[in-house]
Amino acid sequence: MSERESANGGWEVLPRRRFLSSTAWTAGAVATGLGSWVVPAKWASAADPIKVGIATDLTGAIGIAGNACANTARMMVEDINAAGGVIGRPLELYIEDTASNESVAVNNVRKLVQRHRVDVVLGGITSSMRNAIKDVIVNRGRTLYIYPQLYEGRECTPYLFCTGPTPAQQCDALIPWLMADGAKRFAFPSANYIWPHRLNEYARKVVEANGGEVVFEEYYPLDQIEYSATVSKIMNENIDIVFFTVIPPGLAPFVKQVYEAGYQQRGGRLSCVYYDENLLNFHPPHEMEGLVSCLDYFRAISDGGEHQFSADLHARYDAKFPDGPGFAAGSAATGIYRGLKMWEAAVNEAGNLERDDVAAAIDHAKIENGPGGGSEMVPGTYHCRMNMYIAVCKSGRYEIAQQSDGMVEPGECA
Amino acid sequence: MPIDAAFDIISFTSFVVLVVLGLGVIASMMGIFNLGHGDFVLLGAYTVFVFDELGLPIWLGMTVAPFAVALVGLVLERTVIRRFYAAPVIAMLGTYAIGVVIRETVRGLIGGLYHAIPEPLPGMIDIGEISISKWRLTVILITILVVLVSYLLLRRTTLGLKIRASLENPALARSAAISTGQIYALTFAFGCGLAGLAGALMVPAFSLSADLGVRFLIQAFLAIMLGGIGTFEGPIGGAALIGASTAAFPWVMNPILADIMVFVLAIVAIRLRPTGLFTKRRL
Amino acid sequence: MTLNPRGWPVILVLELAVLAALLAMPAGLDHFWVIFVTRVMILALLAISFDLCWGYAGIMSFGQALFFGGAGYAVAVAARDLEITSVFIALPMAVAVGFVFSLFVGWFLLMTRFPPPIIFVALGTLTGSYIGQRLALSWYYLGGQNGIPSIPSLTVGDYPLYEGPVFYYMVLGLLLGVYLLCRWLVRSQFGLVLAGVRQQESRLTFLGYRVQTYKTMMFALAGSIAGLGGGLLAFHDGFIWPNSIGILVSTQAVIFVLFGGIGTLIGAVIGVGAIEYVGFELADRYPQIWPIILGALLLVVVMFRPTGLIGLLVPERERYGRFGKPPKGEDGDDGAA
Repeated sequence: MSERESANGGWEVLPRRRFLSSTAWTAGAVATGLGSWVVPAKWASAADPIKVGIATDLTGAIGIAGNACANTARMMVEDINAAGGVIGRPLELYIEDTASNESVAVNNVRKLVQRHRVDVVLGGITSSMRNAIKDVIVNRGRTLYIYPQLYEGRECTPYLFCTGPTPAQQCDALIPWLMADGAKRFAFPSANYIWPHRLNEYARKVVEANGGEVVFEEYYPLDQIEYSATVSKIMNENIDIVFFTVIPPGLAPFVKQVYEAGYQQRGGRLSCVYYDENLLNFHPPHEMEGLVSCLDYFRAISDGGEHQFSADLHARYDAKFPDGPGFAAGSAATGIYRGLKMWEAAVNEAGNLERDDVAAAIDHAKIENGPGGGSEMVPGTYHCRMNMYIAVCKSGRYEIAQQSDGMVEPGECA
Repeated sequence: MPIDAAFDIISFTSFVVLVVLGLGVIASMMGIFNLGHGDFVLLGAYTVFVFDELGLPIWLGMTVAPFAVALVGLVLERTVIRRFYAAPVIAMLGTYAIGVVIRETVRGLIGGLYHAIPEPLPGMIDIGEISISKWRLTVILITILVVLVSYLLLRRTTLGLKIRASLENPALARSAAISTGQIYALTFAFGCGLAGLAGALMVPAFSLSADLGVRFLIQAFLAIMLGGIGTFEGPIGGAALIGASTAAFPWVMNPILADIMVFVLAIVAIRLRPTGLFTKRRL
Repeated sequence: MTLNPRGWPVILVLELAVLAALLAMPAGLDHFWVIFVTRVMILALLAISFDLCWGYAGIMSFGQALFFGGAGYAVAVAARDLEITSVFIALPMAVAVGFVFSLFVGWFLLMTRFPPPIIFVALGTLTGSYIGQRLALSWYYLGGQNGIPSIPSLTVGDYPLYEGPVFYYMVLGLLLGVYLLCRWLVRSQFGLVLAGVRQQESRLTFLGYRVQTYKTMMFALAGSIAGLGGGLLAFHDGFIWPNSIGILVSTQAVIFVLFGGIGTLIGAVIGVGAIEYVGFELADRYPQIWPIILGALLLVVVMFRPTGLIGLLVPERERYGRFGKPPKGEDGDDGAA
């Protein structure tokens, strides 16, 4: 059975330099329980609460992203309930850990769908996770599924809506921007799973269409920690842009080894489209200098004061979760925001929770405002239009280098 | 290319050698196959992490780590491991269980996440065209030093003689007034201390996660079997072979193939030379 | 059957109790738990396969997942690319894959010129499992880290077998069949030879038995059973990934059996049930602490109670048991080794 959540959500990512407080984890765990959460609706109501399920990686290699997602959902459900709930009913949040372990995840998601009978599931971060759990949710579980993370595209499954950026949204503007100063030679070092393969396939087309060249494209086991052969190739082949999709645990050794070989010193540039603010602390700033990312939101948008809505949202998140992982796009937090808001709008429009009715309403859902601006579902494609931003890392912070001219088409399932 | 390749291969090899050294000492001198060895490596890495979190210098953590892990090893030997000397298979299972407990405890303590640890010696040295990581260079030097010291300790000191005597013939050793129990405890603690050192030195290069040690465990075991159990040189030679081929194969073949090739070749070699490549004894 | 002077043999009572409970369960449980118990029964096949190796043939296999996951991958690929989902083709295929893999590994590790040291076998199987895991991780045809998701469901004719009561009873039937086969085998003359091997391998060799051949046969049988389990799990979960073939699952099999009790078969089944159920309840509340408890439990079992849970109930003499009649009416009164 699930335990009730403590006041501030006992399980947060360890803040650096706060080690001592974290040694109390055993006590905290016994008291509150960590595996699954129920955030009960606070106001009493005659109406049954609507159950929202979150399945995300609270622990494991990408636990930072998972906690950002869960925190975003916690904050939003509180806000929605404070504003009167959805179709007059409060929301109740069920959070399950997918633990960066697909086998554990399948069982925990079953728990959401079959035991708690949630009305919608949001979550999954890696593509492997989405692939592992989508069947349990959509086909075997007959439930709606909203996938919030940037990903490789081509997921055109009915009842599965993707609210993160697609390769078209991430690459179409980024790659020409990278090549603007004459850079032509790309390397694609990648982790060996489906997202890098498909993203690279798309990116290669854009590179070649712009007259560039992909010198090599290599795939490594996720936990590879020795990249000397790759790094040497990068150096000797005079690569201009390393467009990489290596993910943790291989990420830190990879970036370190590239830096140590002197790649940035001789003018090379790193680019990685899932890099967000939560990864800034992952490496020393000098290893990341000049790294280019392209996402639907950066903190710099809020800090720059260009978009008041984002700034308010981000400030509220920071106040609520001061120590935890930040509200960041590459951690799927913005996708969770869009997904929950669109689902809320759809349920309000449909007036009930029937899967077909809600799905039909999400299909043309729009939100006026969100992190980085508004967005809307492209009818019939299960994907969203959204604003995109290119940002460059400078001394441990992102600076916006270019902003899309209005919303960018997802270019999927057309 | 050849120089930087050689440096990278040697540098990775020295990590493997460090891990294998402790495992090899325990396996060769005590006949115990410590399946929890990877987790003693992790414990060493974790010690450095704790120092970093507390704001203490990292090099201090690295100095303390081997002793802290040796102490844990000593306590475990006195309470648990000594029950297993009669049955090597039970020892494997028991040490595996200990490893699980250590690993999962550390996983809880670090929140199941990955943590980057800065090197105590950041930066590079430029040698002509290529640049070399200062830290990796330091690790290579420390490895050479540790191997030499361990060798001298086991081969040239009275203590080393007693250790070898306890392995060869425990009954005779006891009748010669050697406390084999004490010797075993010391040996085990020494092996664990080496594991702790390996973990402490590798964590800046590879970042801390609960599975850090397990990553090396099977490579380390293959290295020992490949080199030959029962000698000091065997495991080190095996480690050098395994480490070098792990780092070198990606230069000459597809990284995916390289990854499994090392394991396949090693197990075939062990099957063909069950006593090890670096031992003169034959069955 | 008068091994236990006070009445029925304890093992038989346990077996009947487990069988009765499994037969009755779907009637009283909701969908979630039916699926849960189905999984437990599938994992019981894995546990039985390890019990055959270690409990009966003295082969310390740290690599049963290679056959389990290998067969899982094989049926998943066949279902994905060749659309083979019929029960009557897919499951025999899983068994065959488990058999071929384990025969090869058994030949490689066991059929050496000199009897291989047990450490070599343990590390060899462990490495085999690890190689399988790395291969699955790196070979994009097998999905890399993603594994193979959305495996189509098993079919009987045109009828799809989703997880649920029908699947449950199919697995129960298979488990029962496998169990009876193993039970007969380990109590036959073949089992007696293996019992002798466990006691003193060299003596059996001097008596003229090809000990390594016997062991390899047992290893291949165990591998086939693991293969059946892996094939079932792939279809049941609709998903397979590199960890299914790797060290995690391999060591899980070891833990199940040691905890339940080696060398009794029913101990393996009970071990899976106990670990999975307690694990489920605890993992829900204390997911960080459960693996630590599991490790500590294993340590306690290894140190203090090598016969496992079952050792609490079953007397030593009954665990050794008796063996089938020798070929020619010789006196088979007490076959206990």
